Amino acid sequence: MPDVQTLVNEFLNQLKKRKIEGSQATAKQTAELLRSVISQQRVPHTNQTTALINAVRAVGEQLIAANPVELAVGNIVRRVLHIIREEDLSLATAAMAGLGVSAASDDEDDVERGENSVLSAAVVAAAARSTLRPPSLQTLLEDTSESAAAPHTSSSGGESDGRSRSVEKGSKSRKLKHDVLEAVNELIQDISTCYEQIAEQAVEHIHHNEVILTLGSSNTVLEFLYAAKEKQRSFKVFVAEGAPRYQGHLLAKELAARGLQTTIITDSAVFAMISRVNMVIVGAHAVMANGGVIAPVGLNMVALAAQRHAVPFVVLAGSHKLCPLYPHNPEVLLNELRSPSELLDFGEFSDCMDSASGTGSLHVVNPTFDYVPPKLVSLFITDTGGHNPSYVYRLIADYYSADDLVVKRRPTTGS
Amino acid sequence: MWWRSASFIMDRQQNEAALKGESSPNPNPNPKISAYYETRAAHHGVVTSDWLAQAQAAIGPEPDPEPQPRPDPEKPFSVIDEFNNWRKQPHLAEAVAAIRALAAVIRWSEATTMMQLEMELKKASDSLKSWDATSISLTAGCDLFLRYVTRTSALEYEDFNSAKSRLIERADKFGEISYKARNVIAMLSQDFIFDGCTILVHGFSRVVLQVLKLAAHNNKLFRVFCTEGRPDRTGLRLANELAKLDVPVKLLIDSAVAYTMDEVDMVFVGADGVVESGGIINMMGTYQIALVAHSMNKPVYVAAESYKFARLYPLDQKDLAPAIRPIDFGVPIPSKVEVERSARDYTPPQYLTLLFTDLGVLTPSVVSDELIQLYL
Amino acid sequence: MGPPKKSAARVSEDPDELVRVPLQAVLLADSFTTKFRPITLERPKVLLPLVNVPMIDYTLTWLESAGVEEVFVFCCSHSKQVISYLEKSEWFSQPNFTVTTIESQNSVSAGDALRVIYERNVLFVTLKVHGDFVLINGDTVSNMSLTQALIEHKERKKKDSNAVMTMIIKHSKTNPAIHQSRLGTDELFMAIDPNTKQLLYYEDKADHSKGTLHLDKSLLVDNPSLSLHHDKQDCYIDICSPEVLSLFTDNFDYQHLRRHFVKGLLVDDIMGYKIFVHEIHSDYAARIDNFRSYDTVSKDIIHRWTYPLVPDAMNFGNTAMKLERQGMYRASEILQSQSAVVGPFTVIGSGTKIGNHTKISNSVIGEGCKIGSNVVIEGCYIWDNITIEDGCKLQHAIVCNGVIIKSGAVLEPGVVLSFKVVVGPEFVVPPYSKVSLLQQPIEEDSDEELEYADSTSAIGSQVDKSDVEIASEVDKTHFSPVSELGMGGAGHVWSTCEGGHEEEWRHSVAPIPKDKILEAIKTMEDDMELTHDGSFLPLSGELKPNSNDSDDDDHEDSKEDSYYFEKEVEATFLRAVHENIQESHLNLEINSLKLSYNKLTADCAGAVFYAMMKFALDTPHSSADSLLKNVQLVFTKWKQVLTTYLIDIDDQIEIILKFEEMCSESAKEFAPLFTKILHHLYNEDVVNEDAILSWEDEKKDADEADKVFVKQAQKLIQWLKEAPEEDDDE
Repeated sequence: MPDVQTLVNEFLNQLKKRKIEGSQATAKQTAELLRSVISQQRVPHTNQTTALINAVRAVGEQLIAANPVELAVGNIVRRVLHIIREEDLSLATAAMAGLGVSAASDDEDDVERGENSVLSAAVVAAAARSTLRPPSLQTLLEDTSESAAAPHTSSSGGESDGRSRSVEKGSKSRKLKHDVLEAVNELIQDISTCYEQIAEQAVEHIHHNEVILTLGSSNTVLEFLYAAKEKQRSFKVFVAEGAPRYQGHLLAKELAARGLQTTIITDSAVFAMISRVNMVIVGAHAVMANGGVIAPVGLNMVALAAQRHAVPFVVLAGSHKLCPLYPHNPEVLLNELRSPSELLDFGEFSDCMDSASGTGSLHVVNPTFDYVPPKLVSLFITDTGGHNPSYVYRLIADYYSADDLVVKRRPTTGS
Repeated sequence: MWWRSASFIMDRQQNEAALKGESSPNPNPNPKISAYYETRAAHHGVVTSDWLAQAQAAIGPEPDPEPQPRPDPEKPFSVIDEFNNWRKQPHLAEAVAAIRALAAVIRWSEATTMMQLEMELKKASDSLKSWDATSISLTAGCDLFLRYVTRTSALEYEDFNSAKSRLIERADKFGEISYKARNVIAMLSQDFIFDGCTILVHGFSRVVLQVLKLAAHNNKLFRVFCTEGRPDRTGLRLANELAKLDVPVKLLIDSAVAYTMDEVDMVFVGADGVVESGGIINMMGTYQIALVAHSMNKPVYVAAESYKFARLYPLDQKDLAPAIRPIDFGVPIPSKVEVERSARDYTPPQYLTLLFTDLGVLTPSVVSDELIQLYL
Repeated sequence: MGPPKKSAARVSEDPDELVRVPLQAVLLADSFTTKFRPITLERPKVLLPLVNVPMIDYTLTWLESAGVEEVFVFCCSHSKQVISYLEKSEWFSQPNFTVTTIESQNSVSAGDALRVIYERNVLFVTLKVHGDFVLINGDTVSNMSLTQALIEHKERKKKDSNAVMTMIIKHSKTNPAIHQSRLGTDELFMAIDPNTKQLLYYEDKADHSKGTLHLDKSLLVDNPSLSLHHDKQDCYIDICSPEVLSLFTDNFDYQHLRRHFVKGLLVDDIMGYKIFVHEIHSDYAARIDNFRSYDTVSKDIIHRWTYPLVPDAMNFGNTAMKLERQGMYRASEILQSQSAVVGPFTVIGSGTKIGNHTKISNSVIGEGCKIGSNVVIEGCYIWDNITIEDGCKLQHAIVCNGVIIKSGAVLEPGVVLSFKVVVGPEFVVPPYSKVSLLQQPIEEDSDEELEYADSTSAIGSQVDKSDVEIASEVDKTHFSPVSELGMGGAGHVWSTCEGGHEEEWRHSVAPIPKDKILEAIKTMEDDMELTHDGSFLPLSGELKPNSNDSDDDDHEDSKEDSYYFEKEVEATFLRAVHENIQESHLNLEINSLKLSYNKLTADCAGAVFYAMMKFALDTPHSSADSLLKNVQLVFTKWKQVLTTYLIDIDDQIEIILKFEEMCSESAKEFAPLFTKILHHLYNEDVVNEDAILSWEDEKKDADEADKVFVKQAQKLIQWLKEAPEEDDDE
């Protein structure tokens, strides 16, 4: 087996050099890498979860730092962390099911800035469930605490899972890792099949004689439209070319090869053509926690056009694109500015960029992504079904735990 | 003559009822005037920021202030007194003071059964609430506390004393959380303040001040536009505080908000209460600012602690219990002229972008979800 | 630093290649030039930071992402520093990418380096595989993909084993006024066969004063089509086959890669080696050759032309850099005061403090710098750990590590401050000066061709000292309280050697001053003016007959030509008269004569005039009066023809002179009529007043013999001078 560190370094390299394109590929590779990390991580008998979590965190921190704009990496790291916690919990509840009543649980009533958390000796199933949900009033209210003797240690939230269980752990030491690996495999499976699951819902959304508009090229959209075609829906597609990479041309070619009537328009023509369109269907790079979308450049304009003409704007996104972070200043922080040579020929314009003779005043900006605010999106279609943008936080609660919002390796001793 | 909502009538009735004899020992002399705002005015008048700093320093590192010994064992325990004691610390929010007071109630209660204890708590809570009927956070805080404390499952299985001590602990903890809420909110909102941004704030919210303090401490470059906040001119106070932090501040009169809105990057307000729809109740003028910001596509961020979530669902402005406060125009007004004296308004959720609470960053639609879950 | 084995290698794409061998590269970590002195006296050029990252990192990163798997780094000057840097960095621990260093102390050129490599290798040649390698310098920044170029190179190799090298070139316009490319290198002329992409001619030191190139005729004979380029930039990235190494070994005087090797190969037809080019379009490649290219490439990196080798992705374990709007790159932990204005296209390293009301724009600032208040920094490159006190003004300067600039100091454009210099307060460092703590090495006439100071060897031994030794040497230079750099300053301002000063502004970080550009444009226009002609002729490159440095031969040739020319013109004119040809046709014919004889308009004018006068003379006449009448008739009729060639005053003077000559030599009959005819010419607007007056001026210093006609015309001239108003009325 190749050394884990080499694998990590290789992947880091690829991320840094921007060699991997597409969130699905990135997500899959990240998941596979983390799977290797977990399987090769040696876990002590006690505090297993913490060890695993720390290992994943350490690698995750590096991966996220290599390319902060590629949100899929962070998403998968957090998913894996959540899986670890969940598996741990389910094992614990199974073990504790037979035990008595002495109740105590941890409480996670605060977000990543670890506040107080109390170490306790045993777990109650119902209360335990709440540890994984994001803090809510309800969780506040359902917490019970140990008798006054329990010390108030202000350890970091990551420790909250490291309860000082003693004997019960022995039996599940191997099981935890096994379960986690199984769950991670499932995750990888999900990522690979996300297209099919989304495409299955195509029939409900595309009806006969509709005109669909899309921009650029997205595999998800392609599969979606194929599926609708398979089900004998007849519809037409307008493809906006998606300058400067003109990937819309590729999409149009594929669609036409499949027998769909396709029309290519320039990005600037979207407003002119939108009144003839019934629905806009696009893919996304990432979906943020407030329901906003990080999408290929030009889609904000399309969303505005759609709103103006009351055309539904549908975003297709696999669940690995769901990000628990809020976008503050997304146009700058979550955007990747690529080489201007995609827009201009360097040779032709080299005399405008000659700083020697003082004519160096031509600046070319080539952003890759656009931010579409949640109020412009009508519907999200993920592999779990169709959702409202304001429902996104629920999905996030299902897939991620609150402690993992900031993936940083915490010091093991309480601060 | 002019159309009013039905709630207007109800308000009038309520007010008249309030005037007709107060059974509770309400130290508030004039029930027409919102004690809530009176308190705040008093604080702002009396206390200087140095005092504030000292008080904060004195209290700062101590996470759990010593439960004060019973002041006078002879005197019957009065929750209002306790409440007032706590309230004296100006940086303490009213609701937190109430919570602490209620915790003290449990501590010094002489009940012997859970039912008795619960009844005592309810009575104390009612008296607190009636002390200022207009304060939403007070009501909400008390309600939440009651639910928090009385919802301990497995209480039936234990004997009274240990249950009581556990209750005390939870009460203290809740007080703790509420107290620390401001810091949590401040930390959450840091990322939303980017270098070079312009923030518009309205009124004097201690939470928002905490947010800005932390941002200045983290060497972020930003400037603040502060509305004057008539009639109590709380904006001037805030401007004072910010100037001490070396943050560039610009004062505006309330009517100049639309004029300067295009230079603004975001609006930050506090809240007196967060209602079920996800909207907020805050100082008069917030609704106006939110409308202007919304029309110009500027985000409106609200900083509110979680104990302010109230079980109210106002449909329009007049559905709120009015909080009246005196307005001094500087010149005598003929008595025929009516003056709108309401001190707060309701901002519907569609004009708000995000709420920063100690539970995390929430969109307005999440609030209703949370509250529904809670009270199910 | 061990002896690397140079296994024959290439990326095997063919399915029938059983062995997959890695792609190799040779990186010359020494440019063997002195363009970056005084900085390179203390540190090797490849370790100098370019937008806060050492140059060699860009090259190595690119090589890795291009698929190279083995790199041999050749170090000569400051080799210890390079080697220890590589060891400490991550480059030695990458999987699939091995970096081996080769050290040599005695090499003075790239040729030497390649010879050393050839010697040190144990060549094992397996007959099936040919090993190509990438030859590159350590100061190249690129993001191109090598696959296409490699494929082409190999295809060519298969078909023709003489194709030894593929050069990478890029389209980039040169500044026409100053004949300099964006990177500060001279204009490059290349002749390329557009079908086969073979390089046929390469000239980088063209003489711009002559404005000519010489191409061998055989080029045109051998190649059916040829395209001549002067807008291509040599990226100095070459894909070489192993024969290149043996070629260098065989020819001991091949020093410079281009001037000797490439030119040598192009000229040499015995062995018939061929060099090909590969042009890249949307990829970027540039070499940092001098300070001007340092500036340009830094700006290109900031503008993200080199994506993904951009500052926010090039952090090697350092703190991350974030890109904000308007090309601002900020690292973490920067303390910036609220009132500071940090402008567009600036990079700020971590741990830097910026004081109040400071303005920074278009600059690169390294780590740990302390910049005081009210400082203005514009277009500068400020490296690490530098202290700039309050009130300073820095424009277009390079400031190296550890420099202290005291308050109120001003750095004029083009200044280079080397390591640890101290500039005293209120001191103004003159423009284009280079300041270093080390003394300027005494340079004997450096061999300009090679640009290596011959005293390098003397310095070379010095230069490889460790930092400790340099520091101690520096201590010895006593820090006088008032040194060359103001109070408490430390450092020596290097004087520019003669001939070097001319070039300072070309190769400096500062933008070229406007007056120099205007000067250059003016010279360019002057050159063009000579060719500016009447409406008939296009602006062709009509060169003046070599007046200055032409030999006597040329002169004689031209004389004969003139004679024939005049004869022809005369004949044409006469024919026109006799056959009644239209004036415009006559003009056409004279024009073609002018072109074929390569004459100027003045010559034409003179010839036509002569022809006309001769004709007038030849027409039968009885007396002087009738001669005069004849002349008048001729002129009235054929005036048009003549005036076409009288564009400016020189032409008119030429006519007058011609007339004089005629009068004194060939057609003496005109002598007494000189003034009258001149007057007539004046009336007919053939010559104007200024011409006559300047003619008179010219003749002032002449001998008496020449002045005969001036005296004759004296009356006319007097009249002209005294009656200017009448002239106007007329």
